Amino acid sequence: MLLTAEHIDYIIKDVHYRGLVVDGLKDEIIDHICSAIETEMKSGKRFIDAYHNVLKTFGHTGGLREIQSQTLTLQNQKTKIMLKNYLLIAIRSLTKHKFYSLINVVGLAIGIAACLVIILFIQNEVSYDRHHKNADRIYRVNGEIKFGGNHYKLAVASAPFADAAVHDFPEVESAVRFRARGSYLVKRSESTDNIKENDVIWTDSTFFNVFSVPVISGDASTALTEPNAIAISKKMADKYFPDGNVLGQSMILDNRLNVKVTAVFEDMPVASHFHFDILIAMAGLNEAQQPNFLSNNFNTYLLLKPGTNAKGLEEKFPGFIQKHMGAQAAAILGEDFTMEKFKSAGNIWEYTLMPLTDIHLHSDLTAELAPNGDITYVYLFSAVALFILSIACINFMNLSTARSANRAKEVGVRKVMGSLRSHLVRQFLLESILLSLGSFLFALVLAWIFLPVFNSISQKDLTLPVTEPMFYLLLGGASILIGVLAGLYPSFFLSAFKPVNVLKGNLALGLRSGWIRSSLVVFQFVISIFLVIATITVNRQLNYIQNKKIGFEKDQVLVVNDAYALGTNIESFRDEVAKNNFIKSGSISGFLPVSGGWRSDNTYWPTGSEPTEETMVGMQSWEVDYDYVKTMGMKIIEGRDFSSDFSSDSSAIVINQSALKFFNYEKDPVGRKISTFNSNNPDGSPDKNSLKSWTIIGVLEDFHFESLKQNIAPLALFLEKNNGTVIFRFEAANSQDVISTVEKTWKSLAPGQPFQYSFLDEDFGRMYVTEQRLGKTFAVFASLAIIIACLGLFALTSFTAEQRTKEIGIRKVLGASVSSIVVLLSKEFGRLILIAFVLAAPLAWYAINWWLKSYTYKVEIGILVYAAAGLFAFGIAWITMSYQSIRAARNNPVTSLRSE
Amino acid sequence: MHSTELLKGTLQTIILKILADHGKMYGYEITQRVKELSDGTILLTEGALYPTLHKMEAEGFLKTETEVIGKRMRKYYSLTAVGKNVVEDKVSEFIAFIKTMSTVLNVTVA
Repeated sequence: MLLTAEHIDYIIKDVHYRGLVVDGLKDEIIDHICSAIETEMKSGKRFIDAYHNVLKTFGHTGGLREIQSQTLTLQNQKTKIMLKNYLLIAIRSLTKHKFYSLINVVGLAIGIAACLVIILFIQNEVSYDRHHKNADRIYRVNGEIKFGGNHYKLAVASAPFADAAVHDFPEVESAVRFRARGSYLVKRSESTDNIKENDVIWTDSTFFNVFSVPVISGDASTALTEPNAIAISKKMADKYFPDGNVLGQSMILDNRLNVKVTAVFEDMPVASHFHFDILIAMAGLNEAQQPNFLSNNFNTYLLLKPGTNAKGLEEKFPGFIQKHMGAQAAAILGEDFTMEKFKSAGNIWEYTLMPLTDIHLHSDLTAELAPNGDITYVYLFSAVALFILSIACINFMNLSTARSANRAKEVGVRKVMGSLRSHLVRQFLLESILLSLGSFLFALVLAWIFLPVFNSISQKDLTLPVTEPMFYLLLGGASILIGVLAGLYPSFFLSAFKPVNVLKGNLALGLRSGWIRSSLVVFQFVISIFLVIATITVNRQLNYIQNKKIGFEKDQVLVVNDAYALGTNIESFRDEVAKNNFIKSGSISGFLPVSGGWRSDNTYWPTGSEPTEETMVGMQSWEVDYDYVKTMGMKIIEGRDFSSDFSSDSSAIVINQSALKFFNYEKDPVGRKISTFNSNNPDGSPDKNSLKSWTIIGVLEDFHFESLKQNIAPLALFLEKNNGTVIFRFEAANSQDVISTVEKTWKSLAPGQPFQYSFLDEDFGRMYVTEQRLGKTFAVFASLAIIIACLGLFALTSFTAEQRTKEIGIRKVLGASVSSIVVLLSKEFGRLILIAFVLAAPLAWYAINWWLKSYTYKVEIGILVYAAAGLFAFGIAWITMSYQSIRAARNNPVTSLRSE
Repeated sequence: MHSTELLKGTLQTIILKILADHGKMYGYEITQRVKELSDGTILLTEGALYPTLHKMEAEGFLKTETEVIGKRMRKYYSLTAVGKNVVEDKVSEFIAFIKTMSTVLNVTVA
């Protein structure tokens, strides 16, 4: 080593002085120089000459700097470092403006969470029945019958339809029927206690063939062939046979039907339009073997051969109807019956095919196996999700552009330092993607917290698919997409600033050219006001329905279900309970004026006239006892109720006003008679010798017995025994006491049978569950929309106030009052909300009329509702703005004017 | 003296080969080694050497370790596994190039 420490220090200083500063590189070059000098000094040169020689080989200062700059360029071209740099600046900028970042993230997260939940809901709704292997080949037969004052749209066909279709049409591969007979009381044959099971159905042995329901044990092909064979779900098997020995075991249904388990199947998935726990072999059902084509009670599904055109098959149905049903219809309606004549009289008798996968969302017919979903709600919720997301994205854009004034200087400085526009665009896009990612994470947490709430409102069992990698991929993709979409406009807007202008101070651009921002705010409030009006309407319609005079008194009525389990004790049960002084009256009948009660209808005509298409009236025929009218609180407006004082009442009827119109008995109805055939021939046609007549003794005021969506149909009460339910009207007592007393009596008279009860007003409310759900959901989403919109407004106002601090200060110095400044600040946005209201009102009006169209009885939505919604939105917005405005206005002008 | 223009394309090959033959070396050592091998006809300029070294390091052909000698910091370069793999290719690529050039220029390499 020839170099001394002083030499080295000299070199270090000198090289540094020449501008070589990058760590690592500097040390390396110094070492190089030193080594080279040592070589030269070995040949006898002085240090300083050697140093200058070596420097010369580097190209002096210029050469040194060139090496350094090349090294730097190389380093900066590495994408990782570049991204790191962008990220660092983005995080700094976001944390510097915590308030705006927070509002952005929270607003967007709420929007995304709402969207996520809705998407899960929609995905669930459209996935129904797709698990069946043959889903695209299975069709349900729908019927439409319009005749004698009735118009039915049915999810059922007649019993022999399925077999006849398989026989007549080569394109039908197989068929399966369901016959619902309500709930059953179920027990193992050696057990004494019954359990009530709701999901019990009679079905054909082809069931496992047509539908893909995996059989766990037993032979699917032979399982349901024998009468009294049943197949049960795994859930049932575990419940009744916990020891695992299931096949071949005996069970007893409804205390009379002895059946044997022949198969156990996998529980049916939730996303299916039917969920059966117990399948009973159709072979054991007498009704299913009857050749009666005229009564429609069987949900019928056809499995078509691959490649069959369902429309083409449908076109063959009229001939099919004529062939099989014509003869039976002619037997009732006269020998000259033809299909053409029947139709030309304005009647309808049609069958159509509905694809299995359409049933859940597109079918709302009479005799569905279970209530279905509704495609309208899928559309509605999609729209709402889109609305909320766009409101949230708009916030994002608005806040970013509004802040542009603040960032203009930054853009100017960066451009002067050599930033290209693309660099800035990248920078701003990264910031918005970062915010969007943050929002998605937060949204995921929100969705996880609020999904159970949504589930309880919508009666669903939705879960976040947290185990699926696809879900995260989609989320990540969506977050980047939303980040880019929301950041695109601001980033191009901001990066377009001319550095000369912004640095000179002409940066008003961001504030003044706010028409895009203004229209976005208007858009947000159009949506919010629209949703508010919709919410008010749905809830008012609900209220209207529930408080409308419905023709009977639904409150304080206890319904004891499955009363047939009492057997012969049923009357002593009623009398025993009625002895309690809080019971006003009791009645035995399964016919209830709410959905889900018994229904039965028959065709009648005025006695004396011939039964023809013109005179026949399809009428609900309800079997009741003496105390029914009294217990239900219905009103007799003419004549009298049934009474045990008149022995002739067994052939008497009480009919409703609507029936009077159809029989043309509006004048003097009491004492007039109507007739019908009372029994059928073995082939299913009515027995002409069984003509029976009834005398009208009273007229009932019309009461609603179906949803208020429907008109009141003709109805008559008959004095007959029906043991479906026992109904008690009780007086203002503690309902819990009433239940326990009634239950005690039940236990003593029907030991081992489950005590099932409900209150009539609850049953009534259940008819409007969908509407209630809609009302609640709308309220939730409308408030979300308003909250997000107001979050944005809040930030915008605070931003404006901040921008105008000096203006406010000067105004105050010149004598402006606090209130005048508050008005000044709120005026701009107030005007926007007014415009939003003007736009939203007609939209809402149109939408509401469309929704209310499906109701026969609807509430009037007056101007007041619109005004209220407008005021509400304005009020909320004003409160939001006023906090910031007042704070700005109350500031001491000295502080705002002192700086700068 | 060969022109720097000609050297430009072969610098990486030279560095790779020399490091493959000698293990770890520092910058100055490389220039001296090249000078020695070429009998002084190839003089690597520092301005070309260091950016190339850094580039090759960034590309993962080279790795570095530093050693402190008194007040000086010496940075040794050596081949990474990737670097070792490409040496053969680079050299044979260059030989092929020379062959092609000799046919193109219609001369015989001595």
